[in-house]
Amino acid sequence: MKKIGGVIVTHGQVAGELLAAAETIIGVQGHITAVSIGWHDDVEMAKDEILRAIKKVSQGAGVLLLTDMFGGTPTNISAMFIKDNEVEIVTGVNLPMVIKLASQNKELTLNEMAKQVEEQGKQAIYRTSELLEPQKLKKDA
Amino acid sequence: MLEGKVKIINPLGLHARAAAQLVRLAGSFQSKIKLVRSDNFVMADAKSILSVLTLAAAKGIELALSVEGADEKQAFQSIQEIFADGFGEL
Repeated sequence: MKKIGGVIVTHGQVAGELLAAAETIIGVQGHITAVSIGWHDDVEMAKDEILRAIKKVSQGAGVLLLTDMFGGTPTNISAMFIKDNEVEIVTGVNLPMVIKLASQNKELTLNEMAKQVEEQGKQAIYRTSELLEPQKLKKDA
Repeated sequence: MLEGKVKIINPLGLHARAAAQLVRLAGSFQSKIKLVRSDNFVMADAKSILSVLTLAAAKGIELALSVEGADEKQAFQSIQEIFADGFGEL
């Protein structure tokens, strides 16, 4: 099965550390790589680095770029690579999104995968105190 | 279908790496494997780590395990063992 490739693109070292955390949990992921954009990096250099990363992880099923923040430089540079069925971006990367992209067990189109990763990222945010409240009440009762 | 209870006995609960172990084990079987928290009925597919993590199951939590499929007997036993073993963290 051809996997959809993934490139995490962020400010500073966040990308590499997110990937390292995901790999600690679920094992090494050959189809995902990380690009950290330094605060003072040249845009052309950053662009080249992202292009190299896309080529590295591409298996022919498309590549999903996971960036840290909409409107930020990593997203803006990544946006230059958007191409139908080849390269797509989802912003606001978090650990569950990386894990979702890592665990591909059936063939999806790049578009479908992008949607699932977006949904997963949103669903995985909890205000934990609210989630645990019923239990606290139960204990008191 | 086989049904039973499993209890989380390792101090850290069903955290990310423990959940990953469980998911890897569950994924090695063909059977459908489901876990439901006995206290709030949150349900998870044991083959999806992100689903298992939503159980937010700490030490002491009891889960209802149900396994259905061709290899349910082996799967049921293996899953019970990994819980009883505290994910190797005891």
